[in-house]
Amino acid sequence: MMGEPAKYVSSTNACRQCTPLGACLAFKGVRGAVPYLHGSQGCATYMRRYIISHFREPIDIASSALGEKQAVFGGGPNLKEGLVNVIGKYSPEVIGIATTCLTETIGDDVASILIEFDREWGAAKKGEHPQLVRVSTPSYQGSHVEGFHATVRALADQLALSSEGVNEKSVNLFPGIVSTADLRALREIVEGFGLTATILPDYSDTLDGPALDRYMPISPGGTGIEEIKLMGGAVASVEFASLLPRKLSAGELLKERFWQRLDTLGLPLGLRATDAFFSALSSISGESIPERYKSQRGRLLDAFVDGHKYLSGKRAVIYGDEELALGLTSFIAEVGIQPVVVATGSSNSDFEDAVKGVTEGLVLEEVKVVDGVDFSEIEALAAEAKPDLLIGNSKGYRISRELGVPLIRVGFPIHDRFGGQRTLHLGYEGALSLFDNLVNAVITKKQEDSPIGYAYI
Amino acid sequence: MRKVAIYGKGGIGKSTTTQNTVAGLVEMGKKVMVVGCDPKADSTRLLLGGLAQKSVLDTLREEGEDVELEDVAKTGYGDSVCVESGGPEPGVGCAGRGIITSINLLEALGAYEEDKGLDYVFYDVLGDVVCGGFAMPIREGKAQEIYIVVSGEMMAMYAANNICKGIQKYAEGGGVRLGGLICNSRMVDNEAEMIKALADKLGTQMIHFVPRDNQVQRAEINRKTVIDFSPEHAQADEYRALAKAIDENQMFVIPKPLEIAELEQLLMDYGLFG
Repeated sequence: MMGEPAKYVSSTNACRQCTPLGACLAFKGVRGAVPYLHGSQGCATYMRRYIISHFREPIDIASSALGEKQAVFGGGPNLKEGLVNVIGKYSPEVIGIATTCLTETIGDDVASILIEFDREWGAAKKGEHPQLVRVSTPSYQGSHVEGFHATVRALADQLALSSEGVNEKSVNLFPGIVSTADLRALREIVEGFGLTATILPDYSDTLDGPALDRYMPISPGGTGIEEIKLMGGAVASVEFASLLPRKLSAGELLKERFWQRLDTLGLPLGLRATDAFFSALSSISGESIPERYKSQRGRLLDAFVDGHKYLSGKRAVIYGDEELALGLTSFIAEVGIQPVVVATGSSNSDFEDAVKGVTEGLVLEEVKVVDGVDFSEIEALAAEAKPDLLIGNSKGYRISRELGVPLIRVGFPIHDRFGGQRTLHLGYEGALSLFDNLVNAVITKKQEDSPIGYAYI
Repeated sequence: MRKVAIYGKGGIGKSTTTQNTVAGLVEMGKKVMVVGCDPKADSTRLLLGGLAQKSVLDTLREEGEDVELEDVAKTGYGDSVCVESGGPEPGVGCAGRGIITSINLLEALGAYEEDKGLDYVFYDVLGDVVCGGFAMPIREGKAQEIYIVVSGEMMAMYAANNICKGIQKYAEGGGVRLGGLICNSRMVDNEAEMIKALADKLGTQMIHFVPRDNQVQRAEINRKTVIDFSPEHAQADEYRALAKAIDENQMFVIPKPLEIAELEQLLMDYGLFG
C-alpha cells in the first residue's frame, strides 16, 4: 500500500512575475530596442498588458508566435521570420530576444539560430541588421528579477567586449528594477559628484516620457548601444544587487573582464543604505558629498524625529522583490517600525540572513523572514502577525482589505493607483517621501477608526 | 581540458566503449570526468564497480535545489569522476530538458573549474540526437569533439550519418567538430573497410576498430572495464590503443553527411558484394 501522498498546494496568486517579463523591462531601457519573445504569442500579450497597466505607456513586445508544429519541429524558422518582420516594421537599433518556457523546454539553440540568421541576412545583401542580444529566460527557473538581471548581464556580455582606456569620470550603474523617478534621481546624484553615469537599463524616458504629437513605434530614450559598448572603460560599476547570485551580475562580469572596480550595494533605501551609496560615490570620484544632499539628509533626519511619535512601535509586513523588500526592511527598522513579516516570492537562500543583518540591534521582536512564498502564504503569516501596515506592490491589496490594514504601495506592479511608475523610493528624498506616506497612512487609519472626527492629530 | 561527446545508435555499445576508453586514459595518467547523459543512468557502472549512483535529477527531485557537487559526482576507477544526469520516469516529462538542467547544474556547482584539474570530460549521450535536449552537450561549446560509435550494421551507419547532420548543424553555430568514427565490431563482413569508406565519405576517419571479444562481456558481468578486470588481455590493449588514438587525435572536421542513396550504395558495394 502506498502511503498518504504528500500534501501539495499549488501557488495561489504568486508574489513574483514571469522571468521573461523582467527581460522585457530591461530591454525597454535600451535605446531603440524592441523586446522579442521567442515563444508562443500569449507570453507577449500577457507581459504587454502587465507592463502597460503599471507604466501607462504603449509597450510593444514582438513574438515568434510558435504553435504546436514549431514546438515539435523547432522554433528556428519562426524566430528568423519574426526578426525580418520586426526589422521591417520598427527599424530598431537593437532586438532583445528572450526565450520562454516553451522554447527552453524544446531546447532551441538561440545562439546558433542567430548566427544562421546573420549569415542569411548577409547573403541577402540587405546591409547591416540591428544588434541582436539574446538571453535565456525559462520562466520555470527564477522570477522576473532574475530575468531582468540576466538580461542586463547579457547586454554587458554581448556588447561591452573591449575597452579603449579608462574614463576616470564615467561610472556604470546597475540599479535593478526601480521606478522611473528613481532612475532620474540616481542620475542626478551621480552627476552631483562630477561623474557621468551609464545606467543600464534606463527606462526613465522610454516608459515615462512626455506626451508626443505623433505616435513613435519605439519610444525615445534609453541607454545607447555605444554607451553599453564603452562600459568596460568606466572607472567603476555600482550595482544594487546585494542578493543577486554572482553568475547573474553584470557588475561581476565587467569586473572579471576589465579588472574594474565593483561596488555591490543594497538599494539606497532609507538612511544607512543611502549613506553607503553616497560614500561609494565619494570614494570613486574623490569628491565630498554635495551640500544639497547634506541638506536633504538633514531634513530626512528631522522628519524621523518629528514622525517618531506616530511610527514608533508600529508593526509592518513587507513583501516584494527580494532587493526591494530588504531595502524597505532596513529603512523601516531604522525609523522605529517593527518589521514582523518580510516576504519575497523569489527563492533566495541568502534572503533571511540579509534581513536579519539589516535589522540587527534595531528590532525588539524576531522578524519572520520567508522566501519563495505566494500571497496566500503571506496572508496567513500577516494575519497571525497583527500588523499596522503593509508595504509592497498592489498585488497585496486583497490582504490589506481582508485584514483592514493600510497598504503603502511601492515597487512593481502598481495597478490600482495613479503614478505608481514614478513613485520615488531611493536616496534621501525618496526615503523622505516614503516616510511621509507611512506617517500619513498611520494618521489616516487613526482618524478613520476614531468615533470622533479629529482634524488635529 | 578536452570536452568529448560520444554518440551512436542505441545498443551500439557507447557506454561500454566510453568507459573502457576512459579506463585507458586514466591508466595514461589523465584526469577524466564522465557525464552520463542518458535517463537510464548506466554510463558509469563499470567505472564505479556497479555502485548504484544517484543521478543529478534524482538528487534534485529528492533533496531540492541545495545540491553539492559531492552529492552527484562519485569517484570511480583510476580517480575518474562519474556523474549521471538521469531523467524522468519512462514516458513522463521531458528527458531532453533534464539533460539541460543537469549540465547547467554541474556548471553552477563548478564541476568544470580549473581547480578540478580535469584533462577530459566525456559526455555519454543516449542514442541519437533526437531533440534539442540531447544535443545539449554539443551546444555552446560544452563538447568540442564528437566520436560516433558505429558498426557495419546498416541501422548503426544510418544513425551515424544522422548524427553527423546534427553535428553539421551545430558546427555552424559553435565550435563542435567530429573527431572520428569508432567501429565497435559486430562481425559484419568487410566491416572495417566499409566503416573506413563511410568515414572517408563523411570527411573523417575511423579512429579505431574495436574487435568483438567476449572478454568485454565477462568484464561487464564483473562490473568492471576490461583494463580493470584483465589488464593483460588483448582486448585491454585494443582500448588502450583507442585511448591513445583519441589522445593524439589531430583530425577534427565538420562532417559531410551522405544522402540516403549514397549510404545504401556504400552498403551494396561493401556489404553484399565485398
